[in-house]
Amino acid sequence: MIGARLCGLFLSIPLLLAGCANDTAVAHGRNTALDGDNLVEITDDMSMKIMASPPVQRAIAREGKLKVVVEPVENDMTAEILPSGPAHAFTGRLRTLLSRRARDQFTWIMNRDAWRYLRENELEHIDPGPSPDAIQPRYALTAKFSTLTSEDSRRRSTYYLCVYELTDFAHREILWSDRYEIRKNAVKGFLD
Amino acid sequence: MNLRNEKRVPSALPLKGIVAIALFLSILQGCGPNATEMAAQHAVVAYFAGDFPQAVDRLRPLAAATDENFVLNNCRLGSSALAENDLDTAEGAFLNAYEVMNSVGVNEGGRLVGTVLVDEKIKIWKGEPYERAMANFYLGLIYYMRHDYNNARAAFENALFKLQDYSDANDKQEDNRRVESNFALASVMLGRCWQRLGRDELARAQFARAIELHGWLAPLVDERLNRESNVLLVVDFGRGPRKLKNFDGAIVGLGPTPEQEGPLPEPDVRVDGKLFPLDGVNRPPVDLLALAQDRRWQSIDTIRTVKSALGTGLIAAGAIDSATDDRNRRAGTDLALIGAGLLLKATSQADIRQWEMLPRTVFVLPLKLPPGKHDITARFPAMPELSQSWRDLVVPEEGEATYYAHLQPYDRRY
Repeated sequence: MIGARLCGLFLSIPLLLAGCANDTAVAHGRNTALDGDNLVEITDDMSMKIMASPPVQRAIAREGKLKVVVEPVENDMTAEILPSGPAHAFTGRLRTLLSRRARDQFTWIMNRDAWRYLRENELEHIDPGPSPDAIQPRYALTAKFSTLTSEDSRRRSTYYLCVYELTDFAHREILWSDRYEIRKNAVKGFLD
Repeated sequence: MNLRNEKRVPSALPLKGIVAIALFLSILQGCGPNATEMAAQHAVVAYFAGDFPQAVDRLRPLAAATDENFVLNNCRLGSSALAENDLDTAEGAFLNAYEVMNSVGVNEGGRLVGTVLVDEKIKIWKGEPYERAMANFYLGLIYYMRHDYNNARAAFENALFKLQDYSDANDKQEDNRRVESNFALASVMLGRCWQRLGRDELARAQFARAIELHGWLAPLVDERLNRESNVLLVVDFGRGPRKLKNFDGAIVGLGPTPEQEGPLPEPDVRVDGKLFPLDGVNRPPVDLLALAQDRRWQSIDTIRTVKSALGTGLIAAGAIDSATDDRNRRAGTDLALIGAGLLLKATSQADIRQWEMLPRTVFVLPLKLPPGKHDITARFPAMPELSQSWRDLVVPEEGEATYYAHLQPYDRRY
């Protein structure tokens, strides 16, 4: 009887091991970092808010299309890394949404770093147009992400405050600002 | 009579079970390193031979596989690429490791059960706390070298978290501070980041904390020195902790201890052939051998120990019962008990996967030099064979240049 049970146990082990084959290191993990869903939520929300902003609409009525330079997100987060790609994506997607939904309201000017990178890496024999030093954008679309992060043996918890601003360079005035708040928790398990 | 004889013979089923046990144990005995683990070991050997490009080439495909060694191979790749000054590869590798290390539940599904019942090596390796802290430290160092001080700061903060979070929930704050304090290396670099971000008050707090915890770091965390330095040498020295098994492979320890290895030597620096006055900044900010001794976080150790003890108990019970069973009436049961005990012993083998490239310490040497090109050598007077020279090292007019080197005495194991 004991032997039969042991035999059953042995048979179950290869099955158990076989089950691990497709169980990859990234299949089950959850963390408190911002993800693709957050990117869509935040930029969708911000695009609606900036288009609905009365000061922005008044400026457009007064000046025509606003000349805006877009900067990557400034990482002011505690213990959360924001690599270059996501840092550009969180303002880049907002720019794309505004280009699509309000194409007659904004003129987008490439920021200095992107222009230099393009010139050095992609456009060796092509004139990329006037230097950004010669074109003065009137506004800057910027974002700053801050967090309160805590971690202990049971969980990691992060509260995000994502602040977006449209700043008027000429008057050093913030024409529009809004924020998006998220709280994310990751509860640790047995082997975490 | 015939009937009685039939009762004495153990049924065929336990015998089959015994055969299965023997087969299974023989299979487990064959669970040595597989092809990918061997390839990883070849890369580690290449790394210790100083052949960093080959180590990178060998590790690149291994690090792409999202298997149970995904984090480990990415840490190995990051170390190799950093030593090769391939910062893009190193950043990508450490970021991969960072994401999984920061995740919870990566071992959910079949891996959790498999880890407990079968073999701990099934679990996705996330490293010991000091290994997690060092992965974050190197990621921060890469961002620091690129002058991305916000991400560097975040990584150094996370390095501190990785040690802090493993203090048991019941521990008092004093214990948290003690564990965290041992990683003053991250505090020093965090302070430097805050300085470069214009947050002097936060920099001061980190430097003060480093002094409070390790008085000998006072020259290294001098505010003015750190603000004005235009070259930072970051030098890894020695070999980090190693995982050790006991006689039956059940319980892991981390060694050697700092006492066994002796005190850390201090480096000196020559600039254009002349000895540079370091004035005490060459003291070690961390000793990973000491840090590894604080090993209170491995709950699976208990399970492994229980399995091993239970296995020993079953083997002993089977053996004792067999010895007292003169007529072999319970031979099958005894053998099954022994087999089950051996099985438990075999599956209580410790997971000794580790990030071999970790150093014993990391020296942080801030220098203030005239802008231009210089020949710089970092060496250990106590170990004349160990040195790293940079020819025509560029000292910028503005800002700071950071250079990294890994120095290690010859190790016959590699």
